[in-house]
Amino acid sequence: MLNQDAVHAIILQALNNINDERGPDEQLVISLDTRLFGADAVLDSLSLVSVIVDVEAAISDASGREISLTDDRAMSQAVSPFTDVNALTAYILLLLSEAA
Amino acid sequence: MTHDTLQGQFVNLRPLNVADAALTLDWRRAARARFLNAGAASVEQQAAWIAARPASEYNYIIELKNGHAIGMLSLTGIDRANRHGEPGRFLIGDEAAAQGVPAAVEAMKLLYELAFDQLELVRVCGIVAANNTLMVKWQKFMGMQEEGRLRNHLCQDGAFHDAVFLGLLVEDYRKVTLPRMKLLIAAAQPKK
Repeated sequence: MLNQDAVHAIILQALNNINDERGPDEQLVISLDTRLFGADAVLDSLSLVSVIVDVEAAISDASGREISLTDDRAMSQAVSPFTDVNALTAYILLLLSEAA
Repeated sequence: MTHDTLQGQFVNLRPLNVADAALTLDWRRAARARFLNAGAASVEQQAAWIAARPASEYNYIIELKNGHAIGMLSLTGIDRANRHGEPGRFLIGDEAAAQGVPAAVEAMKLLYELAFDQLELVRVCGIVAANNTLMVKWQKFMGMQEEGRLRNHLCQDGAFHDAVFLGLLVEDYRKVTLPRMKLLIAAAQPKK
């Protein structure tokens, strides 16, 4: 099963993919504390979808399991999975632990 | 003929008018607009282009609820007989103002409500530059399906690129697109 470091790496790669599409003066500052969506976040909804699609695909490739980050359950979490990298990581690890 | 403003929770779509010429030209000159067709070369040309838009087109400015304009979006090519149309001219011009706000998704939701609920279209479709990976990814996530590829269809900076032809049927809009749009809009709201 993927561990926290592996999931972090997948999410950070998805954020780097967005930077690949941006000019030098439009680069996102990426870290584990990067706020993804909502107040004070760095992503617009176009970029958030890119992260979701890339992360779901990479998790599937790495773990052999399909996960969905955009269902009602994701929205019912006490802390939104899209708050920051750590929150998204925690939610993915939760889903993977249940699927095992 | 002036169309009504479409009201959302985070953004409104208000009709594009000639007074938006300088702002929209500025957006179109930015690097992030490189995937749009080449447009006017001056504010006067842009104003003339806006003034010449036929009433059959729905051209909007995306603005935040405080009235700050952040982008544009259109529904054109409306065929009432065959009940299809083309979303396009989609650009978030003020990206900084859109950060953390579901502006793009709610703007498109408002446009799809116009297309599918008000105009009762059964299909929307259009092309996206194949190298506009963010937009292709976004449209497919939102339920559009790739229906074809137009080879060397677009010329950008002197080089020819493929275009992807994407289409969305009304039933897929209701089943796939709308729930995902609602979810992303909800994701931007603080937990109570």
